[in-house]
Amino acid sequence: MARSASKAAAARRNGFLIAAASLLLLIWVFPLIWAVIVSLKSESEVLAYPPRVIFEPTFQNYSDALFGGVSILPSLVTSLIVSTSTTILTIIIAVPAAYAFARLRLRGKKWLGFYTLATQMVPPVGLVIPYFLILNKIGWLDTFQGMVTVYLTFSLPFAIWLLVSYMEDIPREMEEAAFLDKANRFQTLWHIILPQVRGGIAVTVIFIFLNAWNEFLFAVQLGGNTVRPVTVAMFNFVSVEQTLWAKLSAAALVAMLPMIIIGIAAQKQIVKGLTVGAVKGGGRL
Amino acid sequence: MTKADDNTNQRSVPLVTRRTLLKGAVSGAVLATSSGFFAGRAYADGQFMDLDSLRAANIDWRQAEGASITVGVIPAGYFQNLETVLPDFKELTGIDVRFEMTPPGQIRQKAVLDLSSKTGTWATHAADPMYYDLYVTNDWVDPLDGYLGDAKLTDNDWFQYEDILAGWRGATSVGGSPFGIPFDGEATIQVYRKDVFDKLGLKPAETFDEFTSNAAAAHDPDNRLWGTALRGFRGAGQNMYIYPSIFRSFGGEWFDNTGKMVVNGPEAIAALNWYVNLLNNYAPPGVENWNWPDIADAFGQGTVASYIDAHGSAAVITNPEKSKVIGKIGFARWPKGPSGKRVSSIWNWSFPINGALSQKDKVATWLFIQWAASKETQVATTYAFPGAYKRTGANRTSVWEIGEYRATLEAAGDNYIAAATTSFAEDTDVEWRPRLPQWPAVGDTMATAIQAALVGQSTVTDALNEAQKKIEAILKG
Repeated sequence: MARSASKAAAARRNGFLIAAASLLLLIWVFPLIWAVIVSLKSESEVLAYPPRVIFEPTFQNYSDALFGGVSILPSLVTSLIVSTSTTILTIIIAVPAAYAFARLRLRGKKWLGFYTLATQMVPPVGLVIPYFLILNKIGWLDTFQGMVTVYLTFSLPFAIWLLVSYMEDIPREMEEAAFLDKANRFQTLWHIILPQVRGGIAVTVIFIFLNAWNEFLFAVQLGGNTVRPVTVAMFNFVSVEQTLWAKLSAAALVAMLPMIIIGIAAQKQIVKGLTVGAVKGGGRL
Repeated sequence: MTKADDNTNQRSVPLVTRRTLLKGAVSGAVLATSSGFFAGRAYADGQFMDLDSLRAANIDWRQAEGASITVGVIPAGYFQNLETVLPDFKELTGIDVRFEMTPPGQIRQKAVLDLSSKTGTWATHAADPMYYDLYVTNDWVDPLDGYLGDAKLTDNDWFQYEDILAGWRGATSVGGSPFGIPFDGEATIQVYRKDVFDKLGLKPAETFDEFTSNAAAAHDPDNRLWGTALRGFRGAGQNMYIYPSIFRSFGGEWFDNTGKMVVNGPEAIAALNWYVNLLNNYAPPGVENWNWPDIADAFGQGTVASYIDAHGSAAVITNPEKSKVIGKIGFARWPKGPSGKRVSSIWNWSFPINGALSQKDKVATWLFIQWAASKETQVATTYAFPGAYKRTGANRTSVWEIGEYRATLEAAGDNYIAAATTSFAEDTDVEWRPRLPQWPAVGDTMATAIQAALVGQSTVTDALNEAQKKIEAILKG
């Protein structure tokens, strides 16, 4: 009797939790659903009151956003080039740097660490003018190398600090065993550390790519006709005459796609990466 | 200025077979060759205009041949039309012009960045008239007297600078000298639902009191019809687009006899009170977050009986794709304020010359500006444009007198042309907003005060006193 009562209580609790979670999820996902619905409506239906639930869906907005007069397609390619280059370069530089911070005995390590972090403390808008002047001086305004270099200045400190915490979580004993087998630093990093921090790297990749993909402030000020990422191109639908909500939603959803694909692909690694500290009781070694 | 300053400027009536606004501009070139729109017209060698008519100007159009310049503009139909006809400019001058579309919220920042660092990235750009004091104080742009007066560069018998609307010329001049040439602009007018007004026996307002009483009479929120709406969103180009006109209509002056800026005088208090009471009583809830597109969308959906805003907002309310009130729209001049004045904005997009350019590029830029502001190009990008989108903000009196131009505008609704042209001629006020190098900061401060009073965070008097204090600090610093 007592057992079945407690079972029922547990079921009730579960039911309540599921309902609460569903509600929260619904609230959270509502804007996205709304955007999907808007993107399938005609511009006049978007503004109809009360909003129509039943309407004839159209893919015209997607075809206009992608292939119309102000297509965002070239800008998607630009965003892809900038974000991918930024992410790859960041990982190539940040992994050894993070390893050095986590393992090597460096003079002034503490200060160097603080310096790395300090660059993150400046509000980005304060850097627009200096970056504009520097890029102009070296002729890199509105170039891919200019934009990627600027993004690196934000992504690197962030990536280094994120990866340091993952690397510090790896028991030193594993490396020591490798050293005993005559492995050098590089081999240790490659064969011992990297497989262990895969999850951390996946998380870092996502964050770096996401930030580069969604960046607007520097893209609009330091870019131009050559480098015009999708965040800037989206404004084609917010002209001074009017906002074309349906086309804007379609463009935004298309721009989300790469992120969703990367997110799904890396999900297993991310979950592993996020929980790696927790299973050990949260403390660093 | 801030993100939100997309403001003030919109225009373009969707006439003829309007498909989408943006598609229209681009499809222009295609239509030009395929639809036979130009059938019967023979252009010497231009695709969109008669280049011979431009060559009639007694200047050497090819004096900067080979130059290449970049022009910063905003994404808007009127600049897209201009971009479409650029090949004719290349044909005429041998100069390459590249447009860089920059969102309205960022174009000012980018222009200031470019001008202040003397990089010369943008040879010219779509400039906000309120920024000329800042540009000129810092010597960032060239005075244009020299260009206009140089017979090698300008044939004024042909160009006719004086034909450009006087209010706009005033707005782009500093100390009597022109620093920018207006390309496209607007007048602030009254827009109302003719069917609603007819039913209730109302007439478009002649005075502010009438505007309020009209709004009260039409106000029927239970049936989703609100009396009126004005820009409520906070921003130098949003609520500080409409408030200055109200303030000036109440007889307000931005500067006292000693030249000190005063924003909390009795006229200011009366003006802000009128605005706050009107919107709180007769505007839809949430109007404090509305900019002009929201007003036009609501009007187009039939939920607002009247509003005052730019004449170009007709683009939205006459767009068959969006509007339910086509054929039921009337237009009228800005009503008379207690001072007896009607005050339209002098908003326009103009082109200055970046002072950091090389001499050759300056000449190329001037030729571009002269071409863009010329009657020929104005015609080619307005009624004669072969796309669906026709500009409605032509910069010249003579263009506003052309029958074909007027015919394309008539379709917008009752009294549209008369309301706009009378406003241009009689209601534009160069001192509409305080012309100061510190305008961006002053405009934002005022915008914050106006919204605080509107949402009841602060009383009208307190809000203006607070703004006065902040503005004094800004002007001192």
